[in-house]
Amino acid sequence: MRRARVVVIATIAGLAGVLSFHTKPVSLNLGPAVGPATAGGPPTSAPNPTTTSAGSSGTPGTTSPPTTPTATRTATGDAINYNYGVVSIAATVSGTKLTNVTVASIDDGGNFRSQSIDQQAVPVLEQEALQAQSANIQSVSGASYTSAGFEQSLQSALTQLGFK
Amino acid sequence: MTPVPAAASAAPEQARLSHHREQVMGTVVTIDFFGEADAFTRTELYVRVARARAVLRRADAVFSTYKEHSPINQLRRGEITAAQAPPEVAEVLERCARARTLSDGWFDPWAMPGGFDPTGYVKGWAAQRALNALSMTGVTGAIVNAAGDVVASGSPSLGRAFRVAIVDPSDRLRMACAVELAGGIATSGTYERGGHLIDPRTGQPAARAASASVTGPDLGLADALATALAVAGPAGLDFIEPIEGYEGFVIGHDGSWQFTANFPFALT
Repeated sequence: MRRARVVVIATIAGLAGVLSFHTKPVSLNLGPAVGPATAGGPPTSAPNPTTTSAGSSGTPGTTSPPTTPTATRTATGDAINYNYGVVSIAATVSGTKLTNVTVASIDDGGNFRSQSIDQQAVPVLEQEALQAQSANIQSVSGASYTSAGFEQSLQSALTQLGFK
Repeated sequence: MTPVPAAASAAPEQARLSHHREQVMGTVVTIDFFGEADAFTRTELYVRVARARAVLRRADAVFSTYKEHSPINQLRRGEITAAQAPPEVAEVLERCARARTLSDGWFDPWAMPGGFDPTGYVKGWAAQRALNALSMTGVTGAIVNAAGDVVASGSPSLGRAFRVAIVDPSDRLRMACAVELAGGIATSGTYERGGHLIDPRTGQPAARAASASVTGPDLGLADALATALAVAGPAGLDFIEPIEGYEGFVIGHDGSWQFTANFPFALT
């Protein structure tokens, strides 16, 4: 039996992604990006105050107010039963921009089919997240795969973070 | 009816009035209606999508390669002939053959390692059929999104075209660009499912593009062509260009963009 992965690991990985996002120079020729991707915080500004809240609880005990536009916050969605077990999705926001979506925890009882689904699930969640950031698009095209339970958990995480 | 002109002028971008999720075909298919907020009740939503649900479930039952006793698996094992299979099978075989010809053989369900596998066509085909089965009375438009393959009918609001983002394969929380959608768009790439793209000429996994998208009036054909384009890479745009009504867009592994002359980029 596989044990559920721990929430903290996913959250730390998410934050690491967020932090490196601001400091890493863009090396790819990506053409003119449009939409929310270009609306990130100023890359040359002072380091952002970083706060993290897991679960549905309110603000953590930090001195900086959580409403600071550049604050980074992570919320973990409800644990949802899906075909092969129980899953929880974590979403991270920097300011008003969604910067990371990860599987926070999953307990699938070691089901092989489930594991292949787990690996494939995140891209579709990211598409949902991408769409949630832009009022100017109605849908997202990309190769993907997911389960309704994953989406439901993501939705609860997004709701906690003030999306939709 | 309660008209909402004030809200429409204040937030003209879209009026999504329902978001329905259907777990089918091993993934999630979403069905969104657009129009005035009170066009129908929640109960009526289920009536509206009932036929589309049936279409998707039927496609799954017939074409799932994960269900041991599905007709497509029986066909693969030689237990039945195409003539003995449900009528949809003959239709899909014929359309797959056409897609193979149009794609210069870069889409070839007959050349897959495990035997005939029309998966690269069926998801788009099923989503297209689901859209066609929706009741559109009293709404301005609808979108069916089958795990990234998107097909739309109508418009989000009067005088506007549907806009659909294409995921940036190097950062999936960004959009690479957006298209104005008339019909369908399918996107294929290895960033989501690893090496599932098979080069029909070698039988080995291969993807010469990071992401390949095809737009056109029929999502089934667009899906097959996007699969072919992802395997063939930018050179595959040569077989897309002459296909009437279809356009292609490739993001290379180096991040470069290449596309056919009339690819419907949206200016945002």
